[in-house]
Amino acid sequence: MKLRICHLYPDLLNLYGDRGNILILAQRARWRGWEVEVDYRSLGERIDPFAYDLIFLGGGPDQEQGVVSEDLKIKGPLLLEAAEAGVAILSICGGYQLLGHFYRSARGEVFPGVGLFPVYTEAGAKRLRGNIAVELGFLPGGAPVVGFENHSGRTYLEGGEPLGRVLYGYGNNGLDGTEGVRYRRALGTYLHGPLLAKNPHLADYILKLALERRHGQVELEPLDDALEMTVNRQVYLRFGRKNFLKFRRPRSSSPNKPAFSLR
Amino acid sequence: MRLISTLRFIIAVILGKAMVYIARLFPSGGTSLPGYIALTVDPFCLSRLACGFERIIVVTGTNGKTTTSNLIAALCQEQGWQVINNHEGANMAAGVVTALLRAPLKKGRRYLAVLEIDEGSLKRILSQIKADLLVLTNLFRDQLDRYCELQRLAAAIRSALALQPQCHLLLNADDPLVASLGSSRDKVLYYGMARVADSRQESGEVHEGKICPFCSTPLNFKYYHYSHLGDYSCGRCAFKRPRPDYLAQNLAGWNGGQHFELRFPGGSVTLETPLRGLYNIYNLVAASSAALASGVRPEIIAGVVARFQPGQGRTEVFHLGERLCTLLLVKNPAGLTQAVKAVVDERQAQAFILAINDLAADGRDVSWIWDAELTPLAGSNIKRLICSGLRAGDMALCLKYNGLPKEKIGVVPDKKESLQALLATDAEGLYILCTYTNLAPYRKLLQKWEKQSEAAHLPSLSRPA
Repeated sequence: MKLRICHLYPDLLNLYGDRGNILILAQRARWRGWEVEVDYRSLGERIDPFAYDLIFLGGGPDQEQGVVSEDLKIKGPLLLEAAEAGVAILSICGGYQLLGHFYRSARGEVFPGVGLFPVYTEAGAKRLRGNIAVELGFLPGGAPVVGFENHSGRTYLEGGEPLGRVLYGYGNNGLDGTEGVRYRRALGTYLHGPLLAKNPHLADYILKLALERRHGQVELEPLDDALEMTVNRQVYLRFGRKNFLKFRRPRSSSPNKPAFSLR
Repeated sequence: MRLISTLRFIIAVILGKAMVYIARLFPSGGTSLPGYIALTVDPFCLSRLACGFERIIVVTGTNGKTTTSNLIAALCQEQGWQVINNHEGANMAAGVVTALLRAPLKKGRRYLAVLEIDEGSLKRILSQIKADLLVLTNLFRDQLDRYCELQRLAAAIRSALALQPQCHLLLNADDPLVASLGSSRDKVLYYGMARVADSRQESGEVHEGKICPFCSTPLNFKYYHYSHLGDYSCGRCAFKRPRPDYLAQNLAGWNGGQHFELRFPGGSVTLETPLRGLYNIYNLVAASSAALASGVRPEIIAGVVARFQPGQGRTEVFHLGERLCTLLLVKNPAGLTQAVKAVVDERQAQAFILAINDLAADGRDVSWIWDAELTPLAGSNIKRLICSGLRAGDMALCLKYNGLPKEKIGVVPDKKESLQALLATDAEGLYILCTYTNLAPYRKLLQKWEKQSEAAHLPSLSRPA
């Protein structure tokens, strides 16, 4: 089997170790014996979104996001069409905002987005940053998804389905306890760290999503994720204690047991 | 009112000075505490303290501040000037005040201050002191949770510089964002590096500053030295790399170190250094240019540069029995990439500790380790990679997904145990790459162990006074 990934704007949207996500997805696919092909497409370059199983957009600084939003006037409709057809899309932070309906700056200017996700974003005064844990109900095993967030934009859902529920941290806007969004096989989230480093369960879920369109339901061989899950649990508990006022336990009751101790 | 503020200042100085003397009694004593106390008593003491100095040279930027400012201080001292500097790298307001408090209060002895200033604290400090020369080394992404994004940092530096029309600027011409700060100002000098063997057509690394700071068009690069440093021009507006007044050229390896020619207005000088890595050449060029611009004689420079060792965990070497252990500070992707590139040597069996913390001074967000280029660590000469610190697990995962053999990766969060594990390997070359808050503890441990091992190769490397 072959996994085909497109990293969009790798030179502009690459703020917080985002390329790590591509690395993780590619490695986890290779370890299972698949072929992996990663294409990099940036400003002014043509893309055929249907040629890919997964399209990835990362986060970027303000100036870069402005440049990208211009380019997305051309690529955006293609992405929309691809999402409707079931191509998997993973977007993080700035990439997530750009795929929403619009972004309203502090001065009230409105920048239209791609309109793929039923969300909009408003500039906020204080940056929302820190460690965050989210419960993703659809993930097997019940382990939380942990990462770091750092955004000044507040994103609000207009209907639609959030990606998960905040256990601690801010999430979309720090108010309604939601984090990220999902629409068909497209996911948007504020988590980086990078997102998939300490969350192999989410990485595998995204791999499955990516392969579904062309290969139907795929069963993934299990990998040795002892280190990943130990670090996940460790980080979750460490910052959970610091955020004890906002700390909520995952609803599902099968916590991942560490396979070995890091002390 | 005037009297009260004067009185306040005097009390602040007396208390601060007293603390300086008390701190001297302790070997690792306060590099910021005296300044902190003085600032608490008189928040504006900095401007009056700074008045007592004949000249002030400020060094700021993301990477290389400590090495650059320490070398400038060493060069000025060799010229025969009286120099005060915050050589330990305490570079926020309290550290700067502490350094200034250390100058003896004697009439007729005029001092030169060489101050390394944290780029985030620049505005606050420059609102109180008048600098004569400001050196800006580079702007890399660093601790994004603290400094936000580079463009904003550059804007903050620009507004801080607007308060200092008298100040000469010495800017890195090869860094687009840094060079852009010299526009619409006079008294600007540039330094840079000519194309070297390592320069590449493509920069594979993740980096910023790829788009024009004036018109947001992607920049065209003739070549990259590393990250976003290189020879660039904008396709739309007139922005391009300024012609360097001070230029390093003909760089080549030499006796384990490097040598190059530094061209400056009115001459050139050949410099030899024991230091490795392209980033160290930038530090040496920045410091030598600053010294030359301040009137240090060119013949002094070669001698000082040839024996200069940065110290303080900026490539500091310790003798542990027969083996050498090198301690390096890494704090951002560009620094980690360059450190790895500089120290990996295929002719030698090597072992590493990578110690990553996530406290305020390190940056709470550790995702930056994924933006570094770690492939040189995959060589067969690398025997073991020990991950340590509060985020040892994150580092280990980063190594794992970078494709490094699992059996070589160890996770030992405790510092002492990690050192024991490092010594237990049979590698000849030992290296510790660590973030800011890991630096002092490792240094202390290494100093202790160095004493215990009673190495034959004493004395260890010391900072030129």
